[in-house]
Amino acid sequence: MSLLVDMMTNSLDAGYAEATARRAVRGDTGMNKGPLARVLAVVGVALIAMILMVAAMKVHAAAPQAERERHQLVDRIHTDETEVDTLTATVERLRDEVDAIQEVSLPKAAKDRVQLLALLTGSDPVEGPGLKVIADDAKGSDNSDGSSDPRQAEAAANGRILDRDLQRLVNGLWKAGAEAISINNQRLTALSAIRAAGASILVDNRPLAPPYTILAIGNAKPMQVEFMVGADGRALRRLEDDYGIRINISAQKKMKLPAALGTSLRYAGVPGAAPGSPPPSTPAQPTPGTPPATPTGRGGSPSASAPPAASSTASHKPTERKGKP
Amino acid sequence: MIAVLGLVLGVVVGYLARPVIPHELEPYLPIAVVAALDAVFGGLRALLDGIFDDKVFVVSFLSNVVVAALIVFLGDKLGVGAQLSTGVVVVLGIRIFSNAAAIRRHVFRA
Repeated sequence: MSLLVDMMTNSLDAGYAEATARRAVRGDTGMNKGPLARVLAVVGVALIAMILMVAAMKVHAAAPQAERERHQLVDRIHTDETEVDTLTATVERLRDEVDAIQEVSLPKAAKDRVQLLALLTGSDPVEGPGLKVIADDAKGSDNSDGSSDPRQAEAAANGRILDRDLQRLVNGLWKAGAEAISINNQRLTALSAIRAAGASILVDNRPLAPPYTILAIGNAKPMQVEFMVGADGRALRRLEDDYGIRINISAQKKMKLPAALGTSLRYAGVPGAAPGSPPPSTPAQPTPGTPPATPTGRGGSPSASAPPAASSTASHKPTERKGKP
Repeated sequence: MIAVLGLVLGVVVGYLARPVIPHELEPYLPIAVVAALDAVFGGLRALLDGIFDDKVFVVSFLSNVVVAALIVFLGDKLGVGAQLSTGVVVVLGIRIFSNAAAIRRHVFRA
């Protein structure tokens, strides 16, 4: 304690007092200084000024650089986003072209098979009747008012829809007979993943923002009943009652679901020797660049987790195709 | 007069030379800044008290910088560099505050 008190009371360097005392003994007033003392003073002040200047310049130089780097990153994100959009448009255009060519070159049976597979794998846009489920976080769960009360924050976290809630919802819809499902305009396939990354939910590595709009094409009324009495529907209602998560289910006469992005051809083959198909003697190699003239489906193969091949209420929409010959 | 000359000289040299601080010496820059400020306020107070002395001013400044840097260097080697540099900043900061208070009493008589 005495150390701190000493520091507070004797803040001036003791050297000044001693120097004054020495001068008093010698009898000079301290006004007539030698040239050495003057030079020393100039050097000292210059040194201090230089240190302060250097520090100021360092701070000044660091600030705009951080800002510049941030801007560069933002620019890069924008550029890449534009590129992704362009490439997505290209994919859709090429897909339409392929569809048009298929339309012309395939026999009827193969065409039906392709259509069914395209519907099930999500590689084509579909439209039809179905259920529209809007799921949103509980009121006040976004915590945007900036309240730092940890109890409120916890309640807010409880009211948030998690990835597993969406998984339950989607699985319940598949089970209830949905033929095609999209979340926030993003089509789900048999290979889609719904995951959480931090506070946001990713579907096929694309982040979603609430409210989540899930469109499920199928026979609306039976599907709704089936879903609501199923285990997943009950779990969802429990979330609604306990945590205030807002869920709104409505039957729709007509909905449009986009094609899934990023499906790639993994397997292709020739079932039998369908007339009109090109006559390759061996099954085609599963390369994405293979011309899809073979009558089997594109996209991920419909695995066990794919929706049941129900009677197709979803209709293909050839009217949507741009590249019609 | 001398002080102004030194000030201008230091600013000009610092601005023109743009000395690049070696990476190893970078942690010592804040310490040097605080020590420099301490010397400035101490010198100003001594001037107002009428006991200013060039030699004491320069020598006390240099020794403060060296001792502070030494303490931080030692702390770095022992793994407590951050704590010791905090200690140096606290000690010099207290001195700056009380010297500034003394200067204020001189200037405003309050």
